[in-house]
Amino acid sequence: MNRLMALVKREYWENKGAFRTTPLVIGGIYIVLTVMFLITFSHFDNEFQSLKELARWVSTTEAGLRGDSIYAVSLVIFPFLFNVVLSFVVFFYLLGSLYDDRKDRSILFWKSLPASDTLTLASKLLSAMVVAPVIFWVIYVLTYVVIALIFSIVVLSLGENPWTLFLGIGSPFKAWSMLLLSYLAIAVWSLPLYAWLMLVSSFAPRIPLLFAILPPVVIAVLQIWIEFLQTFTLKKNLFGVIGEWFANSPFISINGDFDDGKLPLSLGAPINDTFSHELSVMNILDRLFSTQMLIGLIVAVVFLGTALWLRRRATES
Amino acid sequence: MSNVIEARGLTKRYKNTVAVDNIDLHIPPGRIVGLIGPNGAGKTTALKAILGLANYDGELSVLGKNPSKDRAALMEDVCFIADVAVLPRWIRVWQLIELTEKIHPRFSREKCLEYLSSTKVTQDHKVKQLSKGMVVQLHLAIVMAIDVKLLVLDEPTLGLDILFRKQFYTNLLNDYFDEERTIIITTHQVEEIEHILSDLIFIQDGRIALDCSMEKVQESYVELVVAPDNAVAAREMQPLYERELFGRHIFLYENANRQQLKELGELHTPSVADLFVATMNGGAA
Repeated sequence: MNRLMALVKREYWENKGAFRTTPLVIGGIYIVLTVMFLITFSHFDNEFQSLKELARWVSTTEAGLRGDSIYAVSLVIFPFLFNVVLSFVVFFYLLGSLYDDRKDRSILFWKSLPASDTLTLASKLLSAMVVAPVIFWVIYVLTYVVIALIFSIVVLSLGENPWTLFLGIGSPFKAWSMLLLSYLAIAVWSLPLYAWLMLVSSFAPRIPLLFAILPPVVIAVLQIWIEFLQTFTLKKNLFGVIGEWFANSPFISINGDFDDGKLPLSLGAPINDTFSHELSVMNILDRLFSTQMLIGLIVAVVFLGTALWLRRRATES
Repeated sequence: MSNVIEARGLTKRYKNTVAVDNIDLHIPPGRIVGLIGPNGAGKTTALKAILGLANYDGELSVLGKNPSKDRAALMEDVCFIADVAVLPRWIRVWQLIELTEKIHPRFSREKCLEYLSSTKVTQDHKVKQLSKGMVVQLHLAIVMAIDVKLLVLDEPTLGLDILFRKQFYTNLLNDYFDEERTIIITTHQVEEIEHILSDLIFIQDGRIALDCSMEKVQESYVELVVAPDNAVAAREMQPLYERELFGRHIFLYENANRQQLKELGELHTPSVADLFVATMNGGAA
């Protein structure tokens, strides 16, 4: 356990820029933009008259609806940039996870330590599935708190009550918990992809990105072509499988009909009805304990097993 | 005490070539073994098998363990420096020390810091900020602070200047080596290590060309320097190898009659480098 923790720490140290600095920069941009927005507004605003009116207008809207909107915004729109960048960070982290140390030959040092290859692989998978998402999430929450604080001060100075206006009704804790849950659930759902990236990373002699993308593209294009030659129809191919799998990932989006001006939250992209799209903890768990997930896990185990087999024999590339 | 390394019929094949061809090794504890061979002779391949970095055919036991199956367990008792500058470039010295401490049960932080205190390496340095020589010093400080039974050094001083190289081997000999430990070194700079070696193994084309102790080398091999007039007589005594230097002929003999040779010219103990050249060229014939 100590060794595993030490190895996870190593991953964090090596990828501090991606895991910590990147979300900090995003959070910083959010805060700076907020401040810039307020300054711009106040610059053209005569003694904050329009801002005051805006706050007053907001306070007259129905509190329940306002709370729902704030909840939806803090769960989907506000963390959007964090989500997108996190997936890029994890993607490229995994792609380099078993490749970079072969390239710079430091694998020869790591292998001189009494840590098994299984443990090394586990530490890297753990970093991708838990460490990176949790750091992004913590920094998102901090950004949220800072911006909520800034707005509270502004609203207070305008003579409105920030608590009844937004702080007390947006259920931020619920939004944060749901977001964290969805991050971790996506990590589990993405295991076949993560395992594929690690396999490529342990195999590629160079340019792992190419090796990650080319085989599925070639397979899918061949499938489409053969299918088309035989039947002149386009049936399900690897692109479709991957696309559907992405759509069913337990991410949270705003999708569907606006009922009574309420932002419609949805689990996954509602392109089919394999799963319920209503956002709830039960529905997230439902996806993780599904047949689809089981198949995904089997695929992941095969990929990871192969990656481990290659890693055992790997020295420098 | 049983042998540290026990290999029988160790073989490593690549697609078209045999890198290590059916070799036997028996290395007892408390030795400093020089593994010497030309480029591509199979030294590194053999070492990789010993360290559990590559699979192989044949029987191999290192400290009683099977390296291809138990690499992680083996590394508690074995340490290696495989070539220079393989420390991760992004890491800071304190991070490296902390990681090694947490992962290696036999690592002593105090010892490591003590070795480092005599160098210019500081804890806050990143490896990529260090010169090549400093990286080797750092790696050696870490390795010497680990209490293992077998240390493998594959070209540990490649590309370093003479001062660093001398210091490296002095530290190794004075502060690290003892009766319990075994060190295996490969290098091209044979003359720098010959005075510290206790055993010599030559590898050529994946086979062992010579395997004997340094005492035995001094006992069995002799070099004769003669003037051209005596060259024919010397040649008749079946030398292993002959070369010419400044108009004088130098012959190398194995188990020859020293009394007879003495009458022809001067006798010397051959250097490992000369013995190596003789074995690689003449010995194979």
